Amino acid sequence: MFRRCAISFFLVPAFLVLAEGGAWARTRPHYGGTLRMEIAGDGIASPDATVLHLLLDGLTRFGADGALHPALAMNWKSEDSGHRWEFSLRPGVQFHNGVPLTADRVVASLNLACNGDCPWTTVHAVGQSVVFVGDSPMPNLPWLLAEKQFLIRLTDAGEDKVPACCVGTGPFQIGAQSNPELFQLTANEGYWGGRPFVDKIQVATGKSIRDQWLDLSLGRADVVEVPAEDLRQAQQQRLTIVAAPAAELLALEIGETGALANPMLRSSIAEAVDRSALFNVIFQKQGEITASLLPQELTGFSFLFTTDRDLDKAHELRGGLACPPLTLNYDGNGAMQLAAQRISLNLREAGFDVQAVALKAPQHGDLTLRLLPLHGSEPAAAMEILLRAGGEQAPVEDGSPAALYRSERDYLARNTLVPLLDLPRAYAIGSRVRDFALLADGTPDLASASLEDAP
Amino acid sequence: MSLRQKLLLLFSLTVAAAVAAVAWTVLVRIRRVFEQRDQEETALFVSQFQREFQHRSAEVAAAVDRLAAGEGARAMALELVQTGDASPYLTAAQTMAQDAQLDFLEIVGPDGNVVSSAQWPARFGYPEPAVFNAANQPFLKREQLPDGSTALGLFAVRSIRGTDPPVKLIGGARLDQSFLADLPVAPGMQIGLYSDPQTAVNADLATGATSSAAAAYDPTRLVGVDGNLPGAAHYQRLIETALKSGAQTNGIVDPTARREDSLNATATPLKNQSGDAMAVLIVALSRAGMVEAQQHIRAIAYGVAAGGILLAIAFSLWIAARFSRPIEQLARAAEEVAGGNWDVRVRPRGRDEVSVLARSFNHMTARLADQRERLIQSERVAAWRELARRLAHELKNPLFPLQLTVENLVRARELPQEEFDEVFRESTSTLNAEIANLKKIVGRFSDFSKMPKPELERIEASDVIWRVALLHCPWLVRGVKDSGEGYVGPAPIGCSVELSLEPMPLNADPELLHRALSNLVLNAIDAMPNGGTLTLSARPIGDKVELRVADTGEGLTPEECERLFTPYYTTKQHGTGLGLAIVQSVVADHAGTISVESHAGGGAAFIIMLPKAGA
Repeated sequence: MFRRCAISFFLVPAFLVLAEGGAWARTRPHYGGTLRMEIAGDGIASPDATVLHLLLDGLTRFGADGALHPALAMNWKSEDSGHRWEFSLRPGVQFHNGVPLTADRVVASLNLACNGDCPWTTVHAVGQSVVFVGDSPMPNLPWLLAEKQFLIRLTDAGEDKVPACCVGTGPFQIGAQSNPELFQLTANEGYWGGRPFVDKIQVATGKSIRDQWLDLSLGRADVVEVPAEDLRQAQQQRLTIVAAPAAELLALEIGETGALANPMLRSSIAEAVDRSALFNVIFQKQGEITASLLPQELTGFSFLFTTDRDLDKAHELRGGLACPPLTLNYDGNGAMQLAAQRISLNLREAGFDVQAVALKAPQHGDLTLRLLPLHGSEPAAAMEILLRAGGEQAPVEDGSPAALYRSERDYLARNTLVPLLDLPRAYAIGSRVRDFALLADGTPDLASASLEDAP
Repeated sequence: MSLRQKLLLLFSLTVAAAVAAVAWTVLVRIRRVFEQRDQEETALFVSQFQREFQHRSAEVAAAVDRLAAGEGARAMALELVQTGDASPYLTAAQTMAQDAQLDFLEIVGPDGNVVSSAQWPARFGYPEPAVFNAANQPFLKREQLPDGSTALGLFAVRSIRGTDPPVKLIGGARLDQSFLADLPVAPGMQIGLYSDPQTAVNADLATGATSSAAAAYDPTRLVGVDGNLPGAAHYQRLIETALKSGAQTNGIVDPTARREDSLNATATPLKNQSGDAMAVLIVALSRAGMVEAQQHIRAIAYGVAAGGILLAIAFSLWIAARFSRPIEQLARAAEEVAGGNWDVRVRPRGRDEVSVLARSFNHMTARLADQRERLIQSERVAAWRELARRLAHELKNPLFPLQLTVENLVRARELPQEEFDEVFRESTSTLNAEIANLKKIVGRFSDFSKMPKPELERIEASDVIWRVALLHCPWLVRGVKDSGEGYVGPAPIGCSVELSLEPMPLNADPELLHRALSNLVLNAIDAMPNGGTLTLSARPIGDKVELRVADTGEGLTPEECERLFTPYYTTKQHGTGLGLAIVQSVVADHAGTISVESHAGGGAAFIIMLPKAGA
């Protein structure tokens, strides 16, 4: 008995020491290694722009918690009731090719990004500051500048072999061996936020979800996409999932031209859509059914918007009005196609002749099924970002929840945008990936990730 | 038309009709045989298609059977029944349909709602009524597709065992161009499938009820192996008949105007569970071979018929000549007999009826010639007798006064000289008168025997009439029909001249014709001792001119009319009976005819018909 106790006395502390050492080994990130990621889109122009986020920085950025953080701008201030904003640039930042980041280059990049739909009227450099001036107030400008559209790139890259779109200040720079099917990214040693843990990232584009999952299971990929509709299956297959709970809003955009200029027909369409079928079956009970623009946890008043389908009311609103055949555009395939077809079926029940048509680049047609970004933890800013993505240019004033509710209610009453589901964005990671996290908009934060087997 | 021509025509027509009838019968029979064979061949292919169709149906049923019996399907059904959660199986139908190589597959839950649909994944949760009344046998069904179109398919429904209420599978194969492409097609054959737009389904998505809307024939819905069937519009009647009657229909389809391009088509309606025709399967077999064979045979038949008809015509010529030659000889001989040559003879050949007729003809002409000779002899004797009698009679009358005068003269020789002289003067006077009378009688006979030959010239009939009329009725004025009355002879006789205004030219001797008409006028005047009306008229009748001399006397009896033109026949007390004979002779010399119309008490009219002179 004593012998046994003596042995235990020595072994238990030894085990605890070893265990502590092992835990330390698992939690401390290692530098080095190549992280392999596979995505279905092209990584640059697709809405998530996974590759672009690794190459470029904005003046601001969203954190994992949705809060706004400084990026290339260290601080900012507004004047004249939000008509003028001045962003002070972080000093000592260089583009991947060594060109220093200056206010003029930032202005050039921003001007290039604008296609007449920028929130500001003019932007100019003042020393190491960038000054935005708008005819109307720009209360949410810092949040808007965190969007993909306003990432800063070097516009005069010269004869550099790297594509002009991709010379930025991000944690990774594009390698010489890159091609549109396989981006070879290398760590930016002089990154202002600190060198990423991994040396390289390979991003294979245009991979189907099935192939991505197969490569993940065979150890040929470290990070793969998990669409919302496949989350349940991924969980059943015991994949390691990292998800942002409400990163996108699935919404039906209704045009205001032709027969749909009649608000009663738009209301009828809004009432005829069956959200529960989309949620329960097509998206496999992932995300949330919603009839509001912003999630419940962001605003607290989402529940006030009814999500139930009312086919009788849809018929009543249509009132026997003849409506010409309508086209429902959708982007993508899989669940989006299925959702579009299902909505077409719902609308046929209400007496509309709707045909779902896939378009590579969704246009503003009769009806359009869209995925809109849900970015940030600031409701007004998130709403403005969302509405701008939907083509709405009016700024959303920050105010009380009640004011925000009224603003959203009035907007939704037009029935030009019918919120359907808040959808998560998720990735499955391999066993050797550590510290993989998603930003609030669902973008992978690969600069913080590391590899288990890195030297 | 001559007998030979008639015979030739008759023989030719008879043979041609016979050849044509035989050729037509042969052609009709051949065409029927070909068409029957063609239809049998088409029916064979149609039955082959029907077997293939049934085979496909069985394949669909077997595929759905295998799916329903699979472990995966049973596990799914059990979980569906237990949990009621259909969401995990949204894409199950697509996977199963892919594995079973089915175009359509739907998993229908215990509540009759679609759990998963391969052809329209978004249709989950909607009812599928076809599973409730489905028989065990495969059936046709029109399926709606997400793009708004519809597709026709062969469907089978099977329950997945082990669950109650059962989960069902309804799977099917598309009936379209690819289905046709798998069917065995012989060379020259076309197959097509017409999806009836009339059965286009307007589905009530909430209840699954369907309705149909009437639609017109749409040629673009008739698809063949390589897309739209060529000449699809020409199948309209056939397809509409098949859809309307619901029965297999056959017919000839002519895509072009050329018969070689025609097709023997069979339209087989494909029906759904309710017996409504939803589609029509077209099997069309080219008739090119049959038509070419028919045309070849027809060409041969026409050639043979033409040759036969030519031979028949040649044979008919020979036969007609053989038959008609003796008859023609007989006819020519008869014509010669009619022309007065009674000495003609026909040479009899053989012993047939025609040769008998020829011999009879020869005998007849010989008898006729003999009888004519006898008649001439007897007539000559009779004429001489009559002449002698008339001469004796005529001469007897003056001879008797001559005899008395001579006897008186002889007796007067006894009288004194003065008385004798007186008797002598009277007797010589009487003798002179009687001798003159005798001379006159002799002169008449002499005139009759010496009728002059007519000297023909072109004259106008009206001139002749007026000349005669003015001679005997001098008070008449030419150009006026009844220009007055006068007396001709002792009784009052009126004259009337009636002439046609048309020209009436004659080739005639005006003197002889005047003399003949004058004779007739004198006879007419003699026939009206108590007065009356003398009418002279002339008018053209066809190619002749009619000259008429009519009186209103007592007329003539039929017996008198018969003998009127006999020489020396007279009804007058002192007539010679030569007047009308002379008239008849003159008329005959002018190639004319004379006749008399008379009724007892109704006057008489002498009618002379003379040929009109040419232009």
